[in-house]
Amino acid sequence: MASDTVGGLGTRQPDLAPDDAVGARRAKRKPAADSKPPRRPAKSRLDEWMEVDFKFGGSRIKRKTIALVVLGAPALVPLFFMLPALVTLDSNTFSVSVDDTLGTGAEIALFLCLLVTPLTTITGQRWFVPLRRWYGIVMACTGIGDAVAASITDDFAGGVFGRLAGHAFELMGFMMVMLVIPLLITSNPYSQRKLGKYWKRFQGLTYAIWALLAAHLILLEGFGFQRGANGSGFAGDGDPIFHQRFYQYSACSLFLLILRLPPARRWIAARQREGRNWLVYVVVLPLFALFVFGFIFILNEEIFKGIDSFTEHPSNE
Amino acid sequence: MNKAVMSEAYARGGQPRNIAGGVILILSSLLAAILVAAGLMYAMGTSARHEAAITAADCEPGLAPDGLQCTTAQMLTSQYTAIVTPASQQLATDMAAYTASERRNLAAAHMALTAEVMSEHAFGTNLAAIKFPVTMAPIAQALIQANQARAKLTAEQAQSTSLAQLRSFNHQVQAANAAVQAEMKLLSKALATNPPGAQPR
Repeated sequence: MASDTVGGLGTRQPDLAPDDAVGARRAKRKPAADSKPPRRPAKSRLDEWMEVDFKFGGSRIKRKTIALVVLGAPALVPLFFMLPALVTLDSNTFSVSVDDTLGTGAEIALFLCLLVTPLTTITGQRWFVPLRRWYGIVMACTGIGDAVAASITDDFAGGVFGRLAGHAFELMGFMMVMLVIPLLITSNPYSQRKLGKYWKRFQGLTYAIWALLAAHLILLEGFGFQRGANGSGFAGDGDPIFHQRFYQYSACSLFLLILRLPPARRWIAARQREGRNWLVYVVVLPLFALFVFGFIFILNEEIFKGIDSFTEHPSNE
Repeated sequence: MNKAVMSEAYARGGQPRNIAGGVILILSSLLAAILVAAGLMYAMGTSARHEAAITAADCEPGLAPDGLQCTTAQMLTSQYTAIVTPASQQLATDMAAYTASERRNLAAAHMALTAEVMSEHAFGTNLAAIKFPVTMAPIAQALIQANQARAKLTAEQAQSTSLAQLRSFNHQVQAANAAVQAEMKLLSKALATNPPGAQPR
């Protein structure tokens, strides 16, 4: 078998590797004298459009910058929801609803962070890639804020450690926060330069957080849903299945997981090379629809619990 | 490698067909499509399930004002407990801090009393936000008033300029506390024995 073939057994297709790593490997190869310069993936039309700058006030701003701010700012909303309770030192609001407001906010930020790579794979666009780091940072801050507030205001016995890790589901949350701290510390260009090729592997801890979130929600909600007054999810509105947090997590995670599997990415890359991206969209559409379905109910939870927290009339439903 | 398999693998533009990736994507996509369809069908029954749920909780939706749900016993108890439990804990902490400093540290006693006033005000505000049914509203109102009286007294106590003056309020505050506790017991009893069935929110 020719050694330069890609995608065969035991070989790694270059365009599947993380971009930074690909860049590093390409840089090490010495090009042959008659070889063409290494091909970079052509920028999509939208990427090019986003690179155009326009005059804003006295300076010039890229369209991309505006789009990134508009898409990135909502991730801060969960922290904003808790602001009045923080300013007025309302321990009741923190005690009752900080877990729902900041915990769900961190979950949303994690899913948005994880969504960037699959969307890049499908669309070939890269203008929104900086959002991955931003959502990751917001996820870390929100999660740490949740843990700090819970350690002070929760009702569980056993002091600070008891309030943070006194129950199995809390222990999972505590481990997530412990993992997110080094990720947050190294989420800057300086650390990226210093850690070199290990940076990408280190940031892979995000996947451990993703898995721990599943354990956290299973231990918190179980696999079933509310029937009558028993179980998780609020049955009062007639949608207990949609309010089951582990179901929401699973609905979102299927899309994020499948689009990360190397065979699936190879298949998508092959269809794109054939110019049949429409087929990719058709195949991926139900997965994305399921993601949106689950994500809408996570947002619903965040908005209702968040507004209750903002008005300092916390809901423990 | 078998020649036929090889040509199959490289059938398109010299690239492997990567059947596994396609199978994974198509199967997971079919599963997702089934789940989305099931979710949409389930969502169509939301209103029927909602009515069944509130009827099962002794709440008649037909009696509720347009566009409003009625408050079930479970919802009301949950709202009340969510306010009372942390407020009681906070007040107990503030009172313990006051007791520890009432005989020797005027500044610390002032701080404890100020915190107590804030906790009492927060408790009253949160309680007032609950929409109690008409049968319980008078009890809740009495509790809010008793709590306001206690907060006013505690605020006056916090204005004291000496430890002796501070302690002179203790009996009055204890009586105000007892009044609040009595109203809380009444409301808890009403919630336990007289659920708000058929009461509009």
